[in-house]
Amino acid sequence: MSDAEKTAPESPDATAPASSVSSSSLPSPSPATEPQQTRTLTVRVQRSGPGGANARFDDYRLSVGPEDSVLDVLDRIRVETDPTLVYRHSCHHSSCGTCAMRINGRERLACITRMLALGTDVVTLEPLRSLPVLGDLMVDMRPMFAHIDPDWGYVRPVEKASTGVPHGVARYTRLENCIECGACMSACPVSNGTDDMPPATAQPAQHAAPQSTRQPARQAASQAASQAAQDTDESLPTDSPADPLAAPLFIGPAPLAALNRELARHPERREELLHIGKGPHGERHCRRHMACSRACPSGVYPAKDIMDIRMMHGGGKD
Amino acid sequence: MEHIAIIGGGGTAAALAHDLILRGFSVAIYERGEFFSGATGRHHGLLHSGARYAVHDPEAARECIEENMILRRLVPQAMEQNDGLFVALDDEDMAYRQRLKDACAASGIPTRDYTPEQARRLEPGLTETVLAAMQVPDATFDAWRLALPFLATARAGGATIHNFTEVIGIDVQGGAVRGLRLRTLTEDVHGARGREWTAPADMVVNAAGAWAGKVAALAGVHVPIQPGPGVLVAIEGRVTNMVINRMRKASEGDIIVPQRRLSVLGTSMWLTNDPDHLDIPPEHVQRMVRLCSEMVPACADAAIRSAWSAARPLIGNADAARPQEISRTFDCYDHGTRDNVSGLLSIIGGKGMTLRAMAEKTADIICRLTGHDAPCRTRETPLLPARAFYRS
Ligand SMILES: Cc1cc2nc3c(=O)[nH]c(=O)nc-3n(C[C@H](O)[C@H](O)[C@H](O)COP(=O)(O)OP(=O)(O)OC[C@H]3O[C@@H](n4cnc5c(N)ncnc54)[C@H](O)[C@@H]3O)c2cc1C
Ligand code: SF4
Ligand code: FES
Repeated sequence: MSDAEKTAPESPDATAPASSVSSSSLPSPSPATEPQQTRTLTVRVQRSGPGGANARFDDYRLSVGPEDSVLDVLDRIRVETDPTLVYRHSCHHSSCGTCAMRINGRERLACITRMLALGTDVVTLEPLRSLPVLGDLMVDMRPMFAHIDPDWGYVRPVEKASTGVPHGVARYTRLENCIECGACMSACPVSNGTDDMPPATAQPAQHAAPQSTRQPARQAASQAASQAAQDTDESLPTDSPADPLAAPLFIGPAPLAALNRELARHPERREELLHIGKGPHGERHCRRHMACSRACPSGVYPAKDIMDIRMMHGGGKD
Repeated sequence: MEHIAIIGGGGTAAALAHDLILRGFSVAIYERGEFFSGATGRHHGLLHSGARYAVHDPEAARECIEENMILRRLVPQAMEQNDGLFVALDDEDMAYRQRLKDACAASGIPTRDYTPEQARRLEPGLTETVLAAMQVPDATFDAWRLALPFLATARAGGATIHNFTEVIGIDVQGGAVRGLRLRTLTEDVHGARGREWTAPADMVVNAAGAWAGKVAALAGVHVPIQPGPGVLVAIEGRVTNMVINRMRKASEGDIIVPQRRLSVLGTSMWLTNDPDHLDIPPEHVQRMVRLCSEMVPACADAAIRSAWSAARPLIGNADAARPQEISRTFDCYDHGTRDNVSGLLSIIGGKGMTLRAMAEKTADIICRLTGHDAPCRTRETPLLPARAFYRS
C-alpha cells in the first residue's frame, strides 16, 4: 500500500461517542466535521502463551487516524475484534509505565506512540525482551522489581524552586522520572542477550576471564560474574520463590538508575547501596552500549546513572 | 470468615480488598484487564482538596478533604507536595470568589488569598490578567502508584487477585448469590485461551466502576450508574509547579495538573451507556488546550504528548441540569433489600481519591450483613510501598 492510499473519512459512528445519551445541555462531541486523514494499516501482534509458548503473529487490518496511538489501536482491536488480546495499560499518558513494548523492533510506550508517525504500512508489536513473557504483549516485571528495593523512595525534593513555595509547603517535591516501564531492560544488549561487542572491551578488566579464546561476550561476562561472586561471596536476595527471578547476570539499567536516585536521597546509606551497585551483578556488566538511555521514554538516561555509580568510590571496591 | 468476591480491579476494588482483609474476611478480586486499566489509572491525578465541589456538592467536598489528609499520610510516595491555586480571570470569577471561600470554610477546606502579584511571583506562567488567586491543599498524585499499595497490601495479607479474568456470570440461586462465572483471557501453555471456570463466594461486590450497570445485569438487577466520559490532554513540559483551577463553578477545561515533566489538562464530560467505546473527539482536545491556556498561556504552544478518555462512574441523576452537577459522592447498594438478591452489593460513584472511604462504607455494610463487629482499620494501618506488589 502506498502512502497516497487513503481511506474514506471514518463514519460518524466511529468518531462520535457510541450511544451518547443526548441532552440539550450536554457538550456532546459531534462527529468530526473535517475529513480525517485516516489510513488502513496492518497491525501485526505477537500472540503467545506464558514463556512465549506457541508464539505466532496475528494480523489485524484497520483504519487509523492521525492522532491514534498504538494503545488506542490495541484497545480498538480488543473491544471490537478480539477480547482475548492481552497487553498492559493504565494511564494512557506515559506516567504508569505499564505499556512498554517493542514497536517495529524498538522499545516504546504504546500510549504515546502515534501509529501513523511510524511511517510503515505494517506495524509490528512484540513484548519486551529480557523479561519473561506472560502472554501476548505482557511481560512479567518481577525480575526487574526484584532489584529495586520497595522501600527506596519515589519522590525527591526539587533542587531549585526559583519561585519560592506557597504557604505551608516546606519544599516542592516531584515524582521520580523513571516510570519503571522496563524499556531499558529490554533494549540493553547485555540483559537481552544480543551483546556482540568484542569481549576485549568487557568491564571490568580485572574480573574478565582470559580473552584469548574469542568466546562470545555474554559467556565471558557470565564467567566474570561467577568469578566475581566467588571473589566477594555475595549473592542477590532471593526473597521470591518464582524462578524467573533467579539472580540474573546483570540487574539491569532501571534498578541501577533507581539505586543512583536513592543514593542522592540517602547519602548516609552510600556504602550499603554501592555494595549492590558495584556488586557481582551490578555496574561492572555495563558495556556502554547506551541502548538504555536511547530507549528510555522518560528522559532518565540510565546509562549516566550507571557511569555515576562506576565512578564512585565505596561499596568495597575502591 | 466469609469469602467475598470483588468484581473489578480498580482503586475501589483494591481498597475494598485491603479493608476486608484487615477485618478478617477471605477476599478474591477479578479484573478483566490489567489492574487500574479502567478510570483509576487514567484520571487527572488531582488529589482534590474538595474546593472544586464545595459550592454545589458539599458532601463530596467533605469526603475529598478528609481523604486528602489521610492519603497524604498513607501514600506520600505517590504524590507531589505542590498544593493548588484557584485563579480568577474575569468579573464572573471574581463574583464566585466569596461563595467559594465561604463554602470551603464550611467544608473545612483551608484557603489563603493571594494578590495577582503574589500569585504571579509563585507561578510566573499564570496569565497577566489574573485578578485574584486562592491557595487550597490540592496535590498531584500518580494514579497507578496511589492505588497499587492497596493491592499490594491486600495480597500480602492473603487476598487472591486475578487480572485478565473477566466475570461473565453471577450465579444466583434461591435469591442468594453463590459465586461467579469467569473467563481467563490469557492463553495457557497448551495454546488454549478463554478458559471458563467458576468460583464460589459467600458475597459478591460489584466494584466495576462505569461498567457496574453491565455487571449488575449479570445478576438481573439494576444500579443507577451513569458512565460519564471525559477527555484529558497531557502536554510536554511542566507549565506550573502548583495545580491550577479556574475560580468558577466546576466546568470544562478548568484544571491543570502538573506532574513530573508534563502538564495534564482537563477535562470535558459527556454521557454514554457504553464505557467500552470511548472516543477522543479532536474538538474536545482543542477545547481543553484553549480553555487551559486562558489560565496559563504556555499551554497553547506546548506539544501534545497524549490525549485520552476515561469514564467516570457517576451515580445517575435525572435532575442535574448539567452533567458537571451530578454529585461526585458515592453510594453502596445492597441488592438484598433492593432487589431480593441477597449477598450482592454494588459500590459506585466517588473519586479516584475517595477509594479508601468507599471501601470503608462497603465493608461496614458487609460486616452488618454478616454479623461481624470488626471496625475499619484502614485510616491508620500503614500500606506497603507500591513496588512491594511485585514481591508478593
Ligand atoms: C476524565 C476524568 C478525570 C478524573 N479526574 C480525577 C481526579 O483528578 N482525581 C480523582 O480522584 N478522581 C478523578 N476521576 C474519577 C476517578 O477516575 C474514578 O472515580 C475512579 O477511578 C473510579 O474507580 P473504580 O475503581 O470505581 O472504577 P474503575 O477504575 O473504572 O474500575 C472498574 C474496573 O472494572 C473492570 N471490569 C468491568 N467489567 C468487568 C467484568 N465483567 N469482569 C471483571 N472486571 C470488569 C474494568 O476493567 C475496570 O478496571 C476522574 C475521572 C475521569 C473520567
Ligand atoms: S529508566 Fe527509563 S526506560 Fe528504564 S524503566 Fe525507567 S523510565 Fe523505563
Ligand atoms: S499506559 Fe501508562 S505509560 Fe503507557
